[in-house]
Amino acid sequence: MGAAPKTNEPCDAQIPRRSFLAWLSGAGIVGSLMAGVFSTFVFMKPRVTYGQPNRFLIGRPEEFPSGARVAIDTKRVCIVREGNKVAAISTTCTHLGCIIAPSQTGFQCPCHGSQFDVDGNVTGGPAPKGLAWFQVSLTPSGELEVDKDNEIQTGTYLSV
Amino acid sequence: MSKPELMSKEAESKGSSVVDLPGNVWKSIFRNPLPSSDRGRAATSFTNFFLHVQPVRVSRRALRPTYTMGLGLISFFLFCILTVTGILLMFYYVPSTTQAYDRMLDLRSSVAFGAILRNMHRWSAHAMVAVVFLHMCRVFFTGSYKPPREFNWVIGVTLFLLTLLSSFTGYLLPWDQLAFWAITVGTSIAGYAPFVGKTIKFMLLGDATVGQEALLRFYVLHVVVLPAVLTIFVAVHFWRIRKDGGLAKPEEAEAAPKPAVRVEVLEPAPVLAFASSSPAATLAPTRTFSIQGLVHGPFVKVGQLEEDTVFSWPNLLIAELFVLLLTLAGVLIVSWLFNAPLEQPVNIMHPPNPAKAPWYFLGLQEQVSYSAFWGGIGVPGIELLLLLAIPYIDRGKAGVGRWFARQRILANSIFLLFVIVNVILIVIGTFFRGANWQFVSPF
Repeated sequence: MGAAPKTNEPCDAQIPRRSFLAWLSGAGIVGSLMAGVFSTFVFMKPRVTYGQPNRFLIGRPEEFPSGARVAIDTKRVCIVREGNKVAAISTTCTHLGCIIAPSQTGFQCPCHGSQFDVDGNVTGGPAPKGLAWFQVSLTPSGELEVDKDNEIQTGTYLSV
Repeated sequence: MSKPELMSKEAESKGSSVVDLPGNVWKSIFRNPLPSSDRGRAATSFTNFFLHVQPVRVSRRALRPTYTMGLGLISFFLFCILTVTGILLMFYYVPSTTQAYDRMLDLRSSVAFGAILRNMHRWSAHAMVAVVFLHMCRVFFTGSYKPPREFNWVIGVTLFLLTLLSSFTGYLLPWDQLAFWAITVGTSIAGYAPFVGKTIKFMLLGDATVGQEALLRFYVLHVVVLPAVLTIFVAVHFWRIRKDGGLAKPEEAEAAPKPAVRVEVLEPAPVLAFASSSPAATLAPTRTFSIQGLVHGPFVKVGQLEEDTVFSWPNLLIAELFVLLLTLAGVLIVSWLFNAPLEQPVNIMHPPNPAKAPWYFLGLQEQVSYSAFWGGIGVPGIELLLLLAIPYIDRGKAGVGRWFARQRILANSIFLLFVIVNVILIVIGTFFRGANWQFVSPF
């Protein structure tokens, strides 16, 4: 194998030029194909969405009296106030995304019967995990702002 | 009539009078007159673009209604009906969250034949899901997925999936309550897929929630992408049936090919009459021909014909026409009697309780009510993989081409169990589930 190639016959230790070029072209075609598929996926994944923003104002703290549990269905959050503490609990079912309604015992999902307690922990049904709690903050203008991109630990309230 | 006479008569008639023009045009389109000889029947099959997909001769078994029940053909004709009605509906539909529902109402009230077209489209879609599934059962219970037909089974399973996807993308389009909540639940199930679930869900919806972007995406998938893919797979499915030697038959029937069928041509062969100027075509019209007949395996075998076959023209064509008319009549009667359901317009605040998918997804929804991942992704995924792998797992050679062959009792029992479990899940989901998916009695 290590011997110098003879001049009059092709050396089997080297790749013939023809098959090298064939491999190169093949790799180029397959590579372009994969790049094409990948770009299609990139294209299909929107960079901007036209739906609702995930950060929004919900009003002044005074609008939510102590003990209030106000479900804002359009925003899919439930604003909970106890004393001077405020929190935003998701009303999107962790099971399959239906809108949950507040009930006597906490929350209940109309689609597949998941039940949650007042803090959003699962008490029954197929839901795999509890309801998300979202970050609530007070803006300089004195309004409450919910940030649905920012999930926080269950039971974390904002004092107002 | 002798041969020279025929030639001279034809030479005279060609282009001699304007009166012959319609006839000449007709003959240029249809190369053969209606066949009256065996050779003519063969020529009719293989000189026509639309007929050449089919074999010249077809086995008598394949034509027996009790063997296939015409389920594959019915699926195909339903797909044709869906294509035609779907294209017509597209002329009046707008994929917009503010207009789609109004367009549904317009179809009922102010578009000529709008209601019946929508009914036909909806009921054919339901029927297609059912019939494609029954077709799959037929192929299984007759052991028709055995070599060399393994891969055609895989294509068939893919076609079943594409049918389900087409129907799934289709029922978002009316933008009613069923549409909205079925898609909300359906895409959430997709979201449970490991690793890529969230991305798939986001790409399907084009947004965080079901809205305008989702409607547009599902519309494009429903009217362009899925039908195009489906058409290609249907073509390959048919082509492979042909190349695999037609429908599966028992080994006894396949074992002993008979010598070639002799075809006596008693009159001038029709192909010759119009190609007479070419010297290659001047065969003696009274010669005895052997017809190549059925393609047996992936390659043509000349000189060996199976026994018990008949010419496709007219036997197969009449059978197909009969199935087409039956399918069309069935769809028309149902569409005339029953209106396709249309629920309230989308109300994001108030999901219907219970929010139910169409019947063919209720088995899935019932599974999902136990566990979102296992019911929606895990179990269906395993079932799908097993379905695709069936011809490669079950490698026994016996019992092909007969319903419920004794040698296949194990395979058939397992598949029957799979069918029964799914039917039971669908029945429970349809009739025994009420508000909050609680168990209720329908009686």
